Amino acid sequence: MKEPIYITGAGIVSAIGLNKAEVLDSLRQHRTGIGPLQYLQSEHTELPVGEVKLSNEKMKSILKISESIPPTRTSLMGIMALNEALNEAGIVPSSTQCIGFVSGTTVGGMDMTEQHYLDFFEKNDFDHFITSHDCGACTQTIADYFGHFSYITSISTACSSAANAIILGAELIESGELDIVIVGGSESLTKYHLNGFNTLMILDHEQCRPFDATRSGLNLGEGAAYLILEKASSAKHRKAKAIGRLSGYGNACDAFHQTASSQNGEGAFRAMNKALQSAGLQTNDIQYINAHGTGTTNNDMSESIAIKRLFGDILPPISSTKSYTGHTTSASGSIEAVICLLAMIYQFLPTNLNWKYPMPEGIVPNMNDYSNTELKHVLCNSFGFGGNDSSLLLSKPVNG
Amino acid sequence: MNRQRVYIQATTQISIQSPLNENWMQNPIQYERPFIRSIEPNFRDFISPIEARRIGRLQKRALTTSLTVIHQSKVEHPDAIITGTGLGCIENTELFLKDMCSQGEYLLKPTPFIQSTHNTISSLIAIYTQTHNYNVTYSHRNISFECALYDAMLQFRLQKINSALVGSHDELTPSWYELLKKVGYSGNPSAEASVSFMLTTERNNSWCELGGIKILHQPSIEILKLSLGKLLTDNGLNLSDIDAVITGINGNQATDLPTIQIYKQLFGQIPLLHYKHLFGDSYSASGLGLYSAACCLKYQFVPSTLYYMETEDQIDNPQNIMFFGQSDYKDYSLILLKSSCGK
Repeated sequence: MKEPIYITGAGIVSAIGLNKAEVLDSLRQHRTGIGPLQYLQSEHTELPVGEVKLSNEKMKSILKISESIPPTRTSLMGIMALNEALNEAGIVPSSTQCIGFVSGTTVGGMDMTEQHYLDFFEKNDFDHFITSHDCGACTQTIADYFGHFSYITSISTACSSAANAIILGAELIESGELDIVIVGGSESLTKYHLNGFNTLMILDHEQCRPFDATRSGLNLGEGAAYLILEKASSAKHRKAKAIGRLSGYGNACDAFHQTASSQNGEGAFRAMNKALQSAGLQTNDIQYINAHGTGTTNNDMSESIAIKRLFGDILPPISSTKSYTGHTTSASGSIEAVICLLAMIYQFLPTNLNWKYPMPEGIVPNMNDYSNTELKHVLCNSFGFGGNDSSLLLSKPVNG
Repeated sequence: MNRQRVYIQATTQISIQSPLNENWMQNPIQYERPFIRSIEPNFRDFISPIEARRIGRLQKRALTTSLTVIHQSKVEHPDAIITGTGLGCIENTELFLKDMCSQGEYLLKPTPFIQSTHNTISSLIAIYTQTHNYNVTYSHRNISFECALYDAMLQFRLQKINSALVGSHDELTPSWYELLKKVGYSGNPSAEASVSFMLTTERNNSWCELGGIKILHQPSIEILKLSLGKLLTDNGLNLSDIDAVITGINGNQATDLPTIQIYKQLFGQIPLLHYKHLFGDSYSASGLGLYSAACCLKYQFVPSTLYYMETEDQIDNPQNIMFFGQSDYKDYSLILLKSSCGK
């Protein structure tokens, strides 16, 4: 039997809180973080967003980063979330230990590039933002803040980036390459993708309503979250407490369209099915699904069909927490994985805000705060543009 | 030890050398310009005109090299499609950025945005070939390709896959080249690269065997030596079995000298090969480095143009070539290729 992969730490920064305690409180109080634009300088003030309620300057001061070259917002949020995860796991990255760091992002340093792109060609004052533009630069900046990692890399599969980072971490451990891998993602709001999504006409001008008949798009969010994945024997050796377990995962491609999901939800179906198979579990072992549930007409229909294809008539409680955080794109996989962990640790069900009217053929999302069965195994879906669909199966620690 | 052996079943490139062939081995094209864009084949031979109109330049190149190795290897639906790209689709990214920065936020068109996301390359290949399997994109500076290859190797070792299409694709626009030059990131010359590999567990008709890969972040020289030793012993080899080391020297003295110093510490007197003087530098250049080594093993000769020192003795019938890469002196990669001819 393969050795379990424990989660020995987790950190989160999102529109509903700057750490796990704040996020937990917001979820239990049904308090959304979606509201009018406050920090991003965009002309589209009509669009509600899920911003992290801190300016870059404030984040720098919290993190005691004083240098004149400011890190990008993606890096700053990433550092905050990683800090919380490392503290919980009791890990200080150093050259004496082999620890991997895998981070998902797509916008990378675009928040600064878009502010200075025209300046780049005329002035020299902002040149450092040329070097901080790419995805890898963001991951490097986060890593450098903490010290030594023996392998770092960046995954960019749009909205499933962080989920795929978690999957790579698991494979690095299973193949015996590393005992501890820090995995997740970070993504700041940018005018670039706010406008990109806006040209696709998939942004709701009101609060998003995942799985509701009247849904008309998503609200973008931002944030970062990281998990410490650790081989069970390593956790035991360090006497680190497991807060959860990654018991399965699946990555599949919808292979249908760059920006739309297929009618039958093929990619989503395969990703969830692979996750169950790799964990050796059946559909009736799952007590909750944290859906991708963006609130777009297309996703919620396709995901509903995929879930029904796999689960049949008896569905576990399902909700989309994007009604709280907004769609945090590349970070959503790890942000929602942390929410799933909180649900299992504190035994509550995240609700689906703003839902009123059932959609034809759609799933009816969970509106209850508590489950009548113990949450032991939950599925967490992340589906990206290009049909990059991934699903994670998170479980309570054994004996936990 | 029961180790899944992995072979390069097919590989090809679109670069500043003649596309989709190995003409560079006999007749390399020489350039004297600092920035050169890739020589493109006739895409219509590979992609339908309707599709070709819909997709960007980088996607066309990536799809063409991918379809070529798919055709050559007869693996229609690889178990994994894994792509590395340092900058992603920078041409479309800049189109959308320029419009947004100069015209404001109300006149933007969706197409450049859709085509600018890094993972459109891997997704496009999946859509075009109707492949629903594992699909991932790495974007981590100069080691994006190595990260993609490493992922594939992990999955072969875990016996999750029997085939993987691994590619690395980067384009460079004149404007982004100006920016890279400004911050000292430009190569000599700066170029573009699209390179695809089909990896399978089938030895027959393969170009060579992929013995293993190590990627290390900020290692000490001792750790590098240990990793090299592990890579060799895993393959039943000694350092003296390595016929040549290929590395990404790019003509920039400031960065080349430390690379050569580390090469000497690791490999001593083993002949050194280089490739960036032929293919230029880009975030995906290391893919072309590995491709060059695979060509040497397939054709069983090392073209004189690859020798770093002109005085080097000719290597006959190369058996083992080590790729050695570094990025910003932070990330180091070692990839072992072994001949699959004879023996």
